[in-house]
Amino acid sequence: MGRPVARKKQHKGDKPLKEKYRMRRKTKDIDQIHEDLKRENAEKLLNQEVDLDKPGSAQFYCLHCAKYFISNHALKEHFKGKPHKRRLKCLQDEPYTQAEADRAAGMGSYIAPKTLKIITQKTKEAMDDSD
Amino acid sequence: MRLEKCYFCSSTVYPGHGVQFVRNDCKVFRFCRSKCHRAFKKKRNPRTVRWTKAFRKAAGKELTVDPSFEFEKRRHVPVKYSRELWQDTVKAMKKIDMIRVRRQNQFITNRLKKGKELRKEADIKEVEKNIHLIKSPAVGMMAKKLEAKLVEVIHEEDVEMMDE
Repeated sequence: MGRPVARKKQHKGDKPLKEKYRMRRKTKDIDQIHEDLKRENAEKLLNQEVDLDKPGSAQFYCLHCAKYFISNHALKEHFKGKPHKRRLKCLQDEPYTQAEADRAAGMGSYIAPKTLKIITQKTKEAMDDSD
Repeated sequence: MRLEKCYFCSSTVYPGHGVQFVRNDCKVFRFCRSKCHRAFKKKRNPRTVRWTKAFRKAAGKELTVDPSFEFEKRRHVPVKYSRELWQDTVKAMKKIDMIRVRRQNQFITNRLKKGKELRKEADIKEVEKNIHLIKSPAVGMMAKKLEAKLVEVIHEEDVEMMDE
């Protein structure tokens, strides 16, 4: 009677799967995207080799959202959308760093972050026109 | 013993506390507690989360630029132990801390002064606007009417006197 009854293990073996998905769902952080926006990195990301494992064979990539799209049309529609615009606004501020955290904690005077100018990348057609 | 600062809230992380996350590009993120770690995982920006030091500094809530902040630093040069130096340092630390706290408090009191002024202004405006609730406008009117009547009576009397 008074003895606690052992509960059935309902989540046995869930952990590895959870861990796996946790890392799989991990998207790029904002400061990583700032790194990607540098010219040499941006060029590499925008002109990727055909990779059949990626959506759209990795040919339609949005730099700011770090996302692959299946076609040029889908990419263009994405640029018009709210998530993309929200992301652009988010990227306007200089990325937050550990150095800033230290300065906020009283190690040196605090320097306010700068605002950067972020514009959507050119689409493939526009790039072809300019060439 | 190295005391790190939390990436998210900028509080001190003592040895044996918090967690550290190493991203796949070798960047190290230290967190003082699970609250900060969780907020990081949700990709919150510390500058916009109101309880972090970064927010308070970025929003001008606290003293940001002051020479008293220039003492605490990450020094990569080890110093040979000397009792005198140690004693002096501790003494200086206490003094600097006292000065810094005083300045920070002064900054906050100065910042709050503005609100006090604004509140006073708003109060005065409200009283002026709703003065009819305190003092009835009819009171003044009655007095004026009485005065006008008296003046009329006097005038009449004057006229009568003149006739005589």
